[in-house]
Amino acid sequence: MSPAESAAAAAEANPVEGKYVYCIIRNDRSREFGEIGIGSGARVYTVNHNDLAAVVSDTPIVIYDPTRENVLAHEFVNETVMREFTLIPMSFGTVFRSENDVLALLKSTYQAFTDVLDKMQDKIEFGLKILWDRDKVVAAIERDNDEIRRLKDEITRNAASSTYFARMQLGRLVEAAMEEASNRYVTDIHEQLKDVSAASRSNKVIGDRMILNAAFLVDRKDEKAFDERVKAISLQYEDLLTFKYTGPWPPYNFVNIKLKLEKAT
Amino acid sequence: MGLLTNILLSPFLGPIWGTRWTLDKVDRVVREELTDDTSIKEDLMKLQLELESGEIDDAEYLRREGEIMKQLRAVREWRERFGMSTSGGPVRVAESDETE
Repeated sequence: MSPAESAAAAAEANPVEGKYVYCIIRNDRSREFGEIGIGSGARVYTVNHNDLAAVVSDTPIVIYDPTRENVLAHEFVNETVMREFTLIPMSFGTVFRSENDVLALLKSTYQAFTDVLDKMQDKIEFGLKILWDRDKVVAAIERDNDEIRRLKDEITRNAASSTYFARMQLGRLVEAAMEEASNRYVTDIHEQLKDVSAASRSNKVIGDRMILNAAFLVDRKDEKAFDERVKAISLQYEDLLTFKYTGPWPPYNFVNIKLKLEKAT
Repeated sequence: MGLLTNILLSPFLGPIWGTRWTLDKVDRVVREELTDDTSIKEDLMKLQLELESGEIDDAEYLRREGEIMKQLRAVREWRERFGMSTSGGPVRVAESDETE
């Protein structure tokens, strides 16, 4: 039986006995967040322990594929909760067998959750991905770099006699200049965002057009300033770079609690 | 018996040892290939990017997303078969400190 089939079978065998956990917040009474949960709009509510609460919805015991639909549902709940609360996001797809298992998590991790909630109080995350247009960057480099321009002119003038070596040399110079340009852009952008953010983290770039894939932790009071700064930088680099700016997000990239969880069979 | 056996059998023993070593190595490489989902997750992020930049439409996205989900499920199955940790599925707070 494939996982999808076994998941469907499991859903039929034990309907909605599990709890899907979206995030942890600080709140000492129970709360409802509406019918916005994963799996066609399940009711989202809290499981409370002292002043901590896990935001959950009922779910069959299944493995959720990270499809866009599922991931968006997970994120939408966290966005909704985030309007009112500082939150610690849970990994996508975290399912507990019962309310008691969720309570056990809140009890056993109480201190760590409390510490992180204090640290993340009123902090939000923004994502910034920067892509470049290779052709435009190469054109800019050929315009600004004397050595490259000279070598290129030489090759075009003596097309017939220009050697393989000269072309290799040109290619190597352009490659090096591009890497240097990429580093220069990224350093400059980080520098300009430093005083409007609390922390930043660079993730691995995706694909060959991306030169920056970063997350920034921003104080809520600096949100507007950060926003304006990003817009100013994107104008400055308008001709060369494409900015993909997202958020506010829960601090996905800045919370790192190793939960001691095991498979519940 | 000893010396003669060795001389007589050595041409055969040699290649057998060699083959076994190679199979172990192949087995390890195949195992890593089957249980590593890093590149699949990268494919998913690239696909997301293509959709955002308008290179592909929704239908194309869903089709390729389906393929990627299949690959992720296959990796999960292999990991389970080899007794490795997997993400997703029901969890609970670990009772002993050794478990993650």
